[in-house]
Amino acid sequence: MRAMISAAVLGAGVTYTLLFISLYFEVFLLISFLERRKVSRTVSGTRTLPKVSIVVPCFNEQMSLGSTLRSLQDLKYPPQLLDIIVVDDGSRDETLAMARTFENDRRIRVFHKENGGKHTAMNLALSVSDAELIGCLDADSIVDSDALMRVAAVFQDARIAAVTPGIHVREPQTILQHMQNVEYRLSVFNRFILAALGSAFITPGPFSIFRAGVVRELGGWRHGHFTEDMEMALRMQEAGHLIANAPNAIVHTTTPRTLRALFRQRVRWTYGFLKNAADYKHMFGDRRYGNLGVLVLPTALISIGTGIYFFCRILFWTSIDLLKAYGHYELTGAVSQPTFHLFFLNTSAMWFLVLASVLLILVLISAGSLIGTGKRMPPYSTPLFILFYCFLVPLWLSAAVVRATIGTGVRWR
Amino acid sequence: MENPIVSDRTARWRTYLFAFIITAALFATAFIASDYFNNRRVADIRATQDDISTDILSLETQFDLLQERSCTDVAENTILPSVLTSLGSRLSYLEAQEGDSDEVLRLKRLYSLLEIKDYLLMKQISAKCNLKPVFILYFYSNERDCKDCESQGYVLTSLAQKYPQLRTYSFDYDLDVAALQTLIAIDSVQNKLPALVINGKNYYGLQKVADIQKVLPQLATLKTATSSAATSTKK
Repeated sequence: MRAMISAAVLGAGVTYTLLFISLYFEVFLLISFLERRKVSRTVSGTRTLPKVSIVVPCFNEQMSLGSTLRSLQDLKYPPQLLDIIVVDDGSRDETLAMARTFENDRRIRVFHKENGGKHTAMNLALSVSDAELIGCLDADSIVDSDALMRVAAVFQDARIAAVTPGIHVREPQTILQHMQNVEYRLSVFNRFILAALGSAFITPGPFSIFRAGVVRELGGWRHGHFTEDMEMALRMQEAGHLIANAPNAIVHTTTPRTLRALFRQRVRWTYGFLKNAADYKHMFGDRRYGNLGVLVLPTALISIGTGIYFFCRILFWTSIDLLKAYGHYELTGAVSQPTFHLFFLNTSAMWFLVLASVLLILVLISAGSLIGTGKRMPPYSTPLFILFYCFLVPLWLSAAVVRATIGTGVRWR
Repeated sequence: MENPIVSDRTARWRTYLFAFIITAALFATAFIASDYFNNRRVADIRATQDDISTDILSLETQFDLLQERSCTDVAENTILPSVLTSLGSRLSYLEAQEGDSDEVLRLKRLYSLLEIKDYLLMKQISAKCNLKPVFILYFYSNERDCKDCESQGYVLTSLAQKYPQLRTYSFDYDLDVAALQTLIAIDSVQNKLPALVINGKNYYGLQKVADIQKVLPQLATLKTATSSAATSTKK
């Protein structure tokens, strides 16, 4: 009995501590947003536009490559300053043939190489580029026509080494894609505020643009445990470079349609974070890296544990309740009737805190919508996201932790 | 949000402090709100106990005046078993939420006393008025490892739902109430829980629905919830 009480006290202690950390981080981001949104820096000056290379690394992308390249062709940017480099990374389908059909556009160059991974494709492009800026656009994404102009404007600040865009879900169709649409709005907010805090630690594949000189100075792209975009961002941060965000440079990316595909993608992302976190562990808690070292990276790591912990907790108590209900049925032959009375409403502090956390997430999603679309209204599928997505996330978090721990690794697709 | 923003990497400690103060305030509000609603629950139970206490006093007075009143009047004004059951389930919920806190223990002591008074009064009224109420005394423990106590609770709740006229009195065996300890001594209830006293006989260990129906044939004479509901509908 005493052991059970001790376990309950310990459980409550851990739960409240993790709730405090989660709430603290949400509040911190919100305060930072409110502090900074009115002092947004307008870039001034009329410096000439830089030459930009946009790399499209592709592996078996014959279905989506066409629309990606067409969106790049439609970019409002001086043609002589735009260099589109398609790198076919050893595709086994008709990707190369599809790419070649665009070679009549003088801005587009096509290269073929043996399959070696996205980072090798990027490095090949880096070696053949003479542009001041180099960026990537995954072959499952399309850009708005004014995106590059908006990104280029940010580079007028000489301190900026990389700029991330505002990423949105491309034509969501399935329920899962609609839930991801909400998640991406939250990501728009996170990317915006983390950049403002000098703490961006991911330069996502869809249309992140870099100063080519900085990338060369840092030694080019690395494998980065299948998350070269995270590894590059961490390396930039480690070297003291700034990563900015241009949320109005809009990219639409295709997201997984099925749970299986989503699970695989997210396991890869989380696995990549865990492995890169181990590689860059010296940055955790180090004040020299500012907000990133002191708060953002440690909280990102803790949030993985938090997600798994709360999922296990819910699973444990649900199992206990189900076992009790089964025991009740076995004993009495009747299903226990739930009591609907205000008296029995759960009013524990924990529930109020969970409610506060959910409300804060709603506010952050709304802020993400404001930043990304100019409207405060979150997507209609937000209730679905709040109710169900939180039960999906711990699945890939757990799988990634297991794979990172026992070293089984992940696959790209 | 027209303008892209970028800032330096430096941590602003003022923001960290503000965030801490706001988060701490949120935590404090959550605990204060929770405490407020728990106090409301305690007040709700107290009010119900006061009502029952008044009802019992009224019944006792009626019983004293029985010479001048008919048995029918008294029997019609007895405390409904469902009121006691409802109070019991609320108390159990509070017990689960707060554990055996001082406030919960105070409420449980009073509840036990009310149950004993109701039990004794009903026995007296039954004897005088030739009524045949069906009683079950149930003894459990929160302090010790009583694995079957929870299951026994399910069984009795299920029976109470099926037979609304069944009077089930549940007592925490370890509760420090002199009247309860006297009841335990009078009925010779041993420290082997869960324990039931049915028709003056003691039963130890988990008694399932069928076991109780077997030793309590009077249950069959009680109206079931479905038949009561049907009667009510007909009215």
